[in-house]
Amino acid sequence: MRHKAGHRALAACRALAATLALAMAAACTSGSADSPYFGKVSPPAGQEMRYISGSEPESLDPPVSSSQPDARIMMALFDGLTEYDPKTGQPIPALATTWEANDDNSVFTFHLRDAKWSDGAPITADDFVYSIRRGLSPALASRTAYMAYDISNAQAYNEGAVFARDRVSGAWVMDPVNTAVRLALPGDEATRTKALSAPALAFARDKEYVPVRPEDVGVDAVDAHTLRFRLRQPVPFVPKLVSHQFFRAVPRQAVERYGDQWTRPGKIVVSGAFIIDVWRPYDVLILKRNPSYYDAGMVRLDTLIFYPVEDLTTMMNLYKAGEVYATFNHTVPSSWVGQVKRYKDYMDAPELATESFVFNTTKGPTMDVRVRHALNMAIDKEALARFRRTVKPTTSSVPLNMFPGYPSPQGDPFDPARAKALLVEAGFRDASGQYDPSRFPATEMEIAYNTSESNRSTAEFIQAQWKQNLGITVSLRNMEFRTFLQTRSRLEYRGIARSGWIGDYMDPFTFLSLYVVEGGDNGSGWSDERFVALLNRANRQHDPNERYRLLAEAEKLLLDAQPTLPLYNNATNYLKKPFVKGMWANPVTMHAWKFVYIEHDPAKWDQVD
Amino acid sequence: MGRFILRRLIVIGPMLLVVVSLTWGLIRLAPGNFYSGEKKLPAAIEKNIREKYGLDKPWYVQYGRMLANTVRGDFGESLKYPGTSVNSILAATLPVSATLGVLAYLLALVVGVTAGTIAALRQNSTADYASMAAAMLGISMPNFVLGPTLVLLFALTWYWLPPARWEGFSTHLILPVLTLSAVYMAYIARLTRSGMLEVLRSNYIRTARAKGLSEREVVVRHALRGGLLPVVSFSGPALAFLISGTVVVERIFALPGLGNYFINANLNRDEPLIIGIVAFMSIAVLVFNLIVDVAYAFFDPRIRY
Repeated sequence: MRHKAGHRALAACRALAATLALAMAAACTSGSADSPYFGKVSPPAGQEMRYISGSEPESLDPPVSSSQPDARIMMALFDGLTEYDPKTGQPIPALATTWEANDDNSVFTFHLRDAKWSDGAPITADDFVYSIRRGLSPALASRTAYMAYDISNAQAYNEGAVFARDRVSGAWVMDPVNTAVRLALPGDEATRTKALSAPALAFARDKEYVPVRPEDVGVDAVDAHTLRFRLRQPVPFVPKLVSHQFFRAVPRQAVERYGDQWTRPGKIVVSGAFIIDVWRPYDVLILKRNPSYYDAGMVRLDTLIFYPVEDLTTMMNLYKAGEVYATFNHTVPSSWVGQVKRYKDYMDAPELATESFVFNTTKGPTMDVRVRHALNMAIDKEALARFRRTVKPTTSSVPLNMFPGYPSPQGDPFDPARAKALLVEAGFRDASGQYDPSRFPATEMEIAYNTSESNRSTAEFIQAQWKQNLGITVSLRNMEFRTFLQTRSRLEYRGIARSGWIGDYMDPFTFLSLYVVEGGDNGSGWSDERFVALLNRANRQHDPNERYRLLAEAEKLLLDAQPTLPLYNNATNYLKKPFVKGMWANPVTMHAWKFVYIEHDPAKWDQVD
Repeated sequence: MGRFILRRLIVIGPMLLVVVSLTWGLIRLAPGNFYSGEKKLPAAIEKNIREKYGLDKPWYVQYGRMLANTVRGDFGESLKYPGTSVNSILAATLPVSATLGVLAYLLALVVGVTAGTIAALRQNSTADYASMAAAMLGISMPNFVLGPTLVLLFALTWYWLPPARWEGFSTHLILPVLTLSAVYMAYIARLTRSGMLEVLRSNYIRTARAKGLSEREVVVRHALRGGLLPVVSFSGPALAFLISGTVVVERIFALPGLGNYFINANLNRDEPLIIGIVAFMSIAVLVFNLIVDVAYAFFDPRIRY
């Protein structure tokens, strides 16, 4: 009896398993191998774009959100002074038609076009002055306010600092380092008293201390159509910088009326090609065209839909089923790349991003620059790039072939023999002077990274390379993202820690400025005055080639000191249906939506636009 | 009975405060902040943010504010989504999670009880083994395997159903509800079967049969009531978890429910949102357990409070 029952149960299980296996097999073999496109290709009836934009937007108030996915949405709603070129990412005219700099790149003047807000009010230089002052105000607590710190007195205002004024003559006390700007002191009295007790600041004692006001920030409306930036130091890339969402004007009338609710549908006033129609958090954000847009005739899409989706596989499913027409950058999971890369949907272009690790230069064996070089030389980056499939190997910090005319310096090549020689020099040798891996304190090191499939495989690759080429075994340590950030910035890790960087603007400086200690934090503990001086000299140049030469010299210095371990430059990795045109794979993956449209004629799908 | 319910309701208050206090403490222990990102913020910007959100105040002030918010039932503004109140997030996401959860539960109940009852009545028959084998599969297969498998078949191979997203009451609901209910269906089927088997052998069923009642009446009126007791006690916590959001299913199907927000709120260290969702979930668990205890009295006449 029992025996028979067992048989029956087994048979039932087998039947179920067989059905499931058959169904799975059917699913796996049914991919249409002959189509040049991935999944269902059926354009919508009208001009409607459906885009997966990533996480739910934190906020659509330009200076409030710091995320790149949110910036892509803001590009549809708010025009900048300049806009990212849809093909190159370089600045093109938007609300500003022309601009010019003074002799040493410290004053920029932008000339605005005649344009209107969606409520009919004119967009003036005053709107930009208001918006930048608002973005910098301590009360707004913008996380991207540092983007504007090169504007004169912007940092002082954002920090809630005070200026010092002579009680008798009324003359401002100037900054001894940069005599062109006033000295800013901590606004908090206790902190200020402490700072002033230093002998170097003796000249600023016993003055009248005046809080920095918004009007002190170096942004002026010369007239309704002329906006001027006065900078604290030369910054030749201002036109590139002002494409960033922080510098996009917000409508004063709506902000003052609705407070932090002003970006809600029905309340929002925009300057861009589209305006919010429906916003259901974590579900959908539907935009429709803005008839008051200055270039409304150019805009082809009637509806632009953003879907917040976070799971990569779900995005791929939606894309394959034809429910969405494009996804945001880095959305094709590595396990899918091999299969999906052959389709025309796959968007592959060089990207403004370098993946690297940083060395902790303050403790352990990595304090020694020879050890840092040796560890760098012992990693075969060509092999890593082949293993990662979507990336290009690099030995430099600034992405290669991204800036025409920039003479990228080369870092160490892959050279295990020299790596060992360097380690011998650093003292890891036996009695006969030969390299001895057992002398190397590998246990005082680790490879730290924030938890993700992709980071783990890179970390494992490095681990294997060091074992193979140097005979040392360094352990891995993965951490949850925010825990990792804190560990890295406090230099609490040992050895190396992951440190990818996506450029903020199309200029080498966005990568090099990470290693200027003030402002950025690079997590290596390394800093060098000569490096900072070179960067400052470069930024005073008017000749772009000379500037690039000096920046490259600074990068060479950085690579020689080796606080960083560059691995590869990323490439864009996302999908787009063939009927979506005007959306190019550019280095910043920012898409000016006014150029995007749906092409209904299949004959034109494969034409280059 | 009335006094029993009242006593239980009064306990909910202190229990809730204990839960939110523990949660609040755990958030403090987690390293990192809601504003930390890939590039370290300049100290001044960090200070501005801390002042804006009152993080510069001593811990007991922050704790007191959190407790006061909880007592008032207004959890304040989300840190990650400035300008959005936690209450509005709860109000927008709860209907989604609840719809999904209730539908999945009903489906699980109907299929599970039917299958379990048939299996018990025809013990050791093919129907019994088939349904128990299916139940075993349902329990063992995690929903992050079942969900993608269903999507692969129905959405990407045959293009019958949409692969993800929320469109209210529509075909979009079918796959997530199926995925979500599978485990519960399986549990309910097994619980029903064992409960029924026990009851069918008991004296009062023998009495009912001896009275000459039809088999149908014996099963539906007498046996099911007792046989379903295990299902009832399972249902309380199950329903509470089902309606308060199911992280995996909401993520796989990109649904705007509570579970999706909850996981992100934790990753983002979004304190008010975490506290709000935890408070809601605890209330749901406590209330549903109370309902279950009351329901016992209905299902089993021997139970009195």
